[in-house]
Amino acid sequence: MSAVGGPRAVPDGAGLFDLPPELAIDTDVARRVIIEFIRGQLRQAGFERAVVGLSGGIDSALVACLVAEAIGPEQLLCLMLPYRTSAAASRADAETVIRQLGCAGDLVDISPMVDAYFGWPESGVVGAAGTEGLIASALRRGNVMARIRMTVLYDRSVTWSGLVVGTSNKTESLIGYTTLFGDAASALNPIGDLYKSQVRQVAAAVGVPEAIIRKAPSADLWPGQTDETEAGFSYPELDRLLYWLVDRRRSVEELDAKGFAPERIAWAMKAVAGSEFKRQVAPIAKLGPRTSGVDYLYPRRRPGSART
Amino acid sequence: MQPLRIALAQIAPRLGLLDENLAHHHALIAEARTGGAGLVVFPELGLTGYLLQDLAAEVAMRLDDPRLLELAAATAAAPGSANGDTPASGGISAIVSFVEESADHRLFIAVALLEDGRVRHVQRKLFLPTYGLFDERRFFAAGDLLRATPSGLGIGVGLSVCEDFWHLAVPQLLALDGAQLLVNVSSSPGRDLAALNEVGLGTATSWRTLLRTYAQLTTSFVVFVNRVGVDESISFWGGSEVIGPNGDAVFSAPLYDEGLYFVDVDLGDVRRERIALPLLRDERLELAIRELDRIVSERAGQTEDSTAEQGAEPGLDVAAR
Repeated sequence: MSAVGGPRAVPDGAGLFDLPPELAIDTDVARRVIIEFIRGQLRQAGFERAVVGLSGGIDSALVACLVAEAIGPEQLLCLMLPYRTSAAASRADAETVIRQLGCAGDLVDISPMVDAYFGWPESGVVGAAGTEGLIASALRRGNVMARIRMTVLYDRSVTWSGLVVGTSNKTESLIGYTTLFGDAASALNPIGDLYKSQVRQVAAAVGVPEAIIRKAPSADLWPGQTDETEAGFSYPELDRLLYWLVDRRRSVEELDAKGFAPERIAWAMKAVAGSEFKRQVAPIAKLGPRTSGVDYLYPRRRPGSART
Repeated sequence: MQPLRIALAQIAPRLGLLDENLAHHHALIAEARTGGAGLVVFPELGLTGYLLQDLAAEVAMRLDDPRLLELAAATAAAPGSANGDTPASGGISAIVSFVEESADHRLFIAVALLEDGRVRHVQRKLFLPTYGLFDERRFFAAGDLLRATPSGLGIGVGLSVCEDFWHLAVPQLLALDGAQLLVNVSSSPGRDLAALNEVGLGTATSWRTLLRTYAQLTTSFVVFVNRVGVDESISFWGGSEVIGPNGDAVFSAPLYDEGLYFVDVDLGDVRRERIALPLLRDERLELAIRELDRIVSERAGQTEDSTAEQGAEPGLDVAAR
């Protein structure tokens, strides 16, 4: 890589997407930090390889590109984990990324596992969850899919001898648009401090295919679903609001004065507060003299912690 | 000409691995000597790594710890050689940083000047940031003394650690106490990624401003050595620098690249700058002491606050509204 830093006239990906000016970042610096972070985390844990679940969306495509740059594509396994209702276009986009990177790729259809639990509503055949499983909400079904994907990723991380690299971005993490122990589960997360608009910027800089950068973000749980229609927000608007609320510590009154609609401010603040539990480890009832996370405080990568 | 070659050890210490870091320091001191350096500077907690938490007590060293003394011994001139026979056989000054355990078992973040085979001077970190991503006061004690030290370099040296340089008095006191070379060793975590500044990182921009300002206002050389590498979530940004006494950068190391960077300076620049710009000559220490005494007394409520609005609490110049 060339020398890092220095102002640039035009942000990466200009024209591909709407980038609020306050969210623009120097992508050379971001890329450098993330690459070293991935290398450092793997080395300190005693691993050379990594596993990424590739959905066909921009977040996981970006993570796969960054991991490949950090450790080489031959050390990366990308897993495609579609359910039978997942869009065919998603899989095609994921395959493009695997082909472009030249990394190992594998497909695990999670439909038999999901259906074995909830059953087959179309034919009325009951699964492990019983008759009640046939009428499970989209939320429940989505959570189970995310956790089955996690199960597969962690299982394959053993045979691949690699760490699972997370793909949650800062926007979805802050509003809680993640499944606890599902997509939120990982050994390290290189993009968890990047808002969606910044993910797009870095994705453009590292060469994620334009079609993936342009398409509407979606959890791909049912046909036509998009994040933005579900949240009632556009990502640039939500990112800006979260940036001023969280990063720049603005009060409700100050956000109001910046022109954000009161109902949007209220929705975002409730979403952030209501998902605090998803961003922290579960509390342990304090009884003994030294308790993990309370007064027994060691770095995760302490001496002797690496796999040998 | 008073030439001095400074080696900036912009390294990535291994967290908690004291023996590995000691070996790396020995190797780099040898490399700096071979490269003709008279001074080699390592970053804050270069011997232990930064984000230690409960590891701090496990990697702490007393000042008579044989491992520290052995490192100091590596600065001595080779036996039997006249100092400076060859670059590698002459002595070197080394500035290293570690966790110091005092006789009463307090843990300090310390920086030491090693010279002539011994520990010549130790400065304990005075300001322990405990806000934002920092939690130093939870694990460490703060130093109480600030002293410049004479050195084998022929000029006074002032040592400081990272956050110490975010307090104006520190560089000024060191310069007034006789330092002509101010050294700040850091483990500065990079944050506040930005698009619209000179180096793309808010932390780096702030530091670069401070270093130039202090060099100019104290008419001293400023040597800043910041680590690289990753501890947990935190990435350290490097960007070590040497600033001349006129406030201009003599050398700026790249961001994030590990390396031993050699910089040649002319210590005669201090004299030239101080003759041309006699700021230190014109300092009014008695004025500063008088006004500081007044402020301390007023803050403590011992005397009436002469600069406060009517109704203000002791120490607060503005009345509650």
